[in-house]
Amino acid sequence: MADPDRVKPEDRVEQKGLGSGDAPGSGGVSNEPAAGHSRPKEEGKARSEDAAAAGEEDEEGSSLHPSPAKKLKMEQDKKKEKRQKVDEDEIQKMQVLVSSFSEEQLNRYEMYRRSAFPKAAIKRLVQSITGSSVSQNVVIAMSGISKVFAGEIVEEALDVCEKWGDTPPLQPKHMREAVRRLKSREQIPNTKHKHILFH
Amino acid sequence: MAEEEEDPGFDEDLDDGGNGVDSGQGKRKRLFSKELRCMMYGFGDDQNPYTESVDILEDLVIEFITEMTHKAMSIGRQGRVQVEDIVFLIRKDPRKFARVKDLLTMNEELKKARKAFDEANYGS
Repeated sequence: MADPDRVKPEDRVEQKGLGSGDAPGSGGVSNEPAAGHSRPKEEGKARSEDAAAAGEEDEEGSSLHPSPAKKLKMEQDKKKEKRQKVDEDEIQKMQVLVSSFSEEQLNRYEMYRRSAFPKAAIKRLVQSITGSSVSQNVVIAMSGISKVFAGEIVEEALDVCEKWGDTPPLQPKHMREAVRRLKSREQIPNTKHKHILFH
Repeated sequence: MAEEEEDPGFDEDLDDGGNGVDSGQGKRKRLFSKELRCMMYGFGDDQNPYTESVDILEDLVIEFITEMTHKAMSIGRQGRVQVEDIVFLIRKDPRKFARVKDLLTMNEELKKARKAFDEANYGS
């Protein structure tokens, strides 16, 4: 079943990871001999200012290729802009999609977004296992990944159900087959069986 | 682990070590029945999922949380569960990793927004 919310989160993470690696240390590394060359603060104007100030020095920055530090900064800025644009595109696409849902689809989507594990129960469960208290962020993270985990199982079970020619509602045999498949892909953590290779 | 709970049966069964996933957890009260039903519908199941399937899923989720908690206790600072440990354990799974990052980021933003709102109210 198409999961509209599962719109390439990996891309977003990668882009965010790159974006957050903004290196302010470009100042020290730069080998620009420009003494009076003021570093332009506005991102994206770097190139034009570079070309304007190119008459100053004999650097390679005659807008053919800027110095490596500037190039790095520009690439990061472009990636940041690209990421923001991708986010906006994504939001727009989602709006178009949701506006064309039938009522049943809207109900299902609302349940998908709204359902969550109760934080109190998760906190109690984790605390009873650790024996000590846990922070709120832990509860938030744990309930979040538990929901993703439940989603993975249900989606796999729906695949199994379809493959076996059955119809929803899902039956326990579908769930068990889904678990078996996910286990073989190691998507279900299991520390009970320790296979000792060399002993 | 002697916490005051309104359901002492829950603790007992946990100490017991459980009965395994398929046969159910014995006398433990169902913790997530209502929420799991809504969740299963949201993920594509029927509007009224079978109770047995919901039970199986609840057992799986509780086992997942238990495993993650034990793993998190064994890495980083021993005996405690911290967010960094969870993030580390989940690093290979792109969906879960992205989800945790998003949730934590959003939480920070919400906290900032609330703080700014409160300060604005206090000022006026």
